[in-house]
Amino acid sequence: MITFPGPVSALVTLPVAPDRDGIARVLSLEGFTQESLPGVRATIPAFNRLLVEGSPSDWDPGEVESVLEAGARAALRAPPTSPETPTTATTVSLPVCYDPDLAPDLEELAATAGLATGEVARLHSSPTYLVLATGFAPGFAYLGDVDARIATPRRPSPRARVPQGAVGIADRRTGVYPAEGPGGWRLIGRVPAALFEDPTERIARFTPGGSVEFRPIARTDYEAEC
Amino acid sequence: MLSPTDRAGPPHAVVDRPGPYCTVQDLGRRSGRRAGLAPGGAMDQRAYLWANRLLDNDPGDAALEVTLGGFVLRFNVETMVALTGADCRTTLDGVETGAWRTIRTRPGQVLRLSYSATGMRAYLACPGGLDTDRAFNSASSVARDGLPGLLGRPLLEGEPLRWLAPDRTLPNRQLPAHLIPPASPDAALEVPLIPGYEWPEFSDADRDRVFAAEWTVDPTSDRTAIRLTGPALTSGPRILDSTPLVDGTIQVTGDNRPLVFMRDRPTIGGYPKLGGTDPIALDALAQARPGTPVRFVPAEPEAARLAMARRESFFEIR
Repeated sequence: MITFPGPVSALVTLPVAPDRDGIARVLSLEGFTQESLPGVRATIPAFNRLLVEGSPSDWDPGEVESVLEAGARAALRAPPTSPETPTTATTVSLPVCYDPDLAPDLEELAATAGLATGEVARLHSSPTYLVLATGFAPGFAYLGDVDARIATPRRPSPRARVPQGAVGIADRRTGVYPAEGPGGWRLIGRVPAALFEDPTERIARFTPGGSVEFRPIARTDYEAEC
Repeated sequence: MLSPTDRAGPPHAVVDRPGPYCTVQDLGRRSGRRAGLAPGGAMDQRAYLWANRLLDNDPGDAALEVTLGGFVLRFNVETMVALTGADCRTTLDGVETGAWRTIRTRPGQVLRLSYSATGMRAYLACPGGLDTDRAFNSASSVARDGLPGLLGRPLLEGEPLRWLAPDRTLPNRQLPAHLIPPASPDAALEVPLIPGYEWPEFSDADRDRVFAAEWTVDPTSDRTAIRLTGPALTSGPRILDSTPLVDGTIQVTGDNRPLVFMRDRPTIGGYPKLGGTDPIALDALAQARPGTPVRFVPAEPEAARLAMARRESFFEIR
């Protein structure tokens, strides 16, 4: 489905789940768009959607619609992505300390799932995640998909203050809070705050389609890096 | 920490008083949107672009955005600056200067912007643009992101400023009266609304209400969004996944009131949206003080696109 959110923009929603396979199809549509549509200034992939922004002097809504329709059809025909294959060469690797002292929801999540806390950490740090979208806060990435055994709904009411570097889970998604602020995800670990010092680096770390891995570290290593 | 404007020699001017909120701005960031970066940039781009044009600057040269006036600048060099935007009674060594014009200054002279009588934001441009840090190809200060110009913060008292072409010789110039936008509308500010996003999913009653109501600019409005008070719009759908936004997207947030996203907006939003305004209408919204009455009027995207194309062509924005 294609809609026009502004005078020089189009928003394509692919009829697929907003998950790893969905974003892979959106990224394929993004590539097609950049090759086939003149005057594209920005594209923003997010979950199962792609926003395309153009230049006011080049934008022809009829042409944009037909190019995006053809691109969407091609993206939907492509075979599903394998969950094991990262789609880009660049992988961000982040150290995470899964210590209950730093992760206020870890023990409750483990108990609900019927797992040891160490097993939750192992399941969370096993996959290579894909960035499904960025936003909410600058430098926040929605990563997917987490193992179904540790997927959990967000808290009924958000915490007023989540610390910088907190690692959370919401449904099949996980993410790292890049700065202190309110947040409703279940907190299961912590990345050392030193990794968020430089604003440019902090904000540009994740981009949709990029890959992210979590590397478990001991409490002593966490303290040393902070 | 040294201000980034300290780097290259003695300052051309020093900020004696920054006023309530003064930042470095330009046209904002085109890149980085994909990674979640706010566009940033001058809130009233028309006023900002004229300030640069008056000095033969490039359209994207960095200038000061002075919010509500209350700003005092002491010059160390003979140079010329340009002042546009909100009507702050402005004096140079006590002599009224007027605005939408260039102002010639000598060492030791003091430029003083009073608190604005109408409008919200004045623009002060310098020849060649301010010499400040850039990130993602822009000097715009986005305080929420901590990005340059001045390390993502508003200017402080004593802030040294340098610019890139202080010796440029220019004639005095003044914008002709017919090109200066009216300081405040006689009646409610009319804001074009191009329906889009989840517009069809709002009830008929809510869609009628959007155009029938007189909305009011809320005092919580800022560089992120102009927030409006008025009747509650309760019929919007629940959004499962945040959706990419564009300049001027109008979103109905948790309090059931609409807001118009401005330059420091996020890149995605998780509430239902009515559509968007014509991006050129953001200039007038940027100058609307709290309490300003606002009416939405239905608009066509093609007319807005043509107006945007004309502006980019006139100001030579590439």
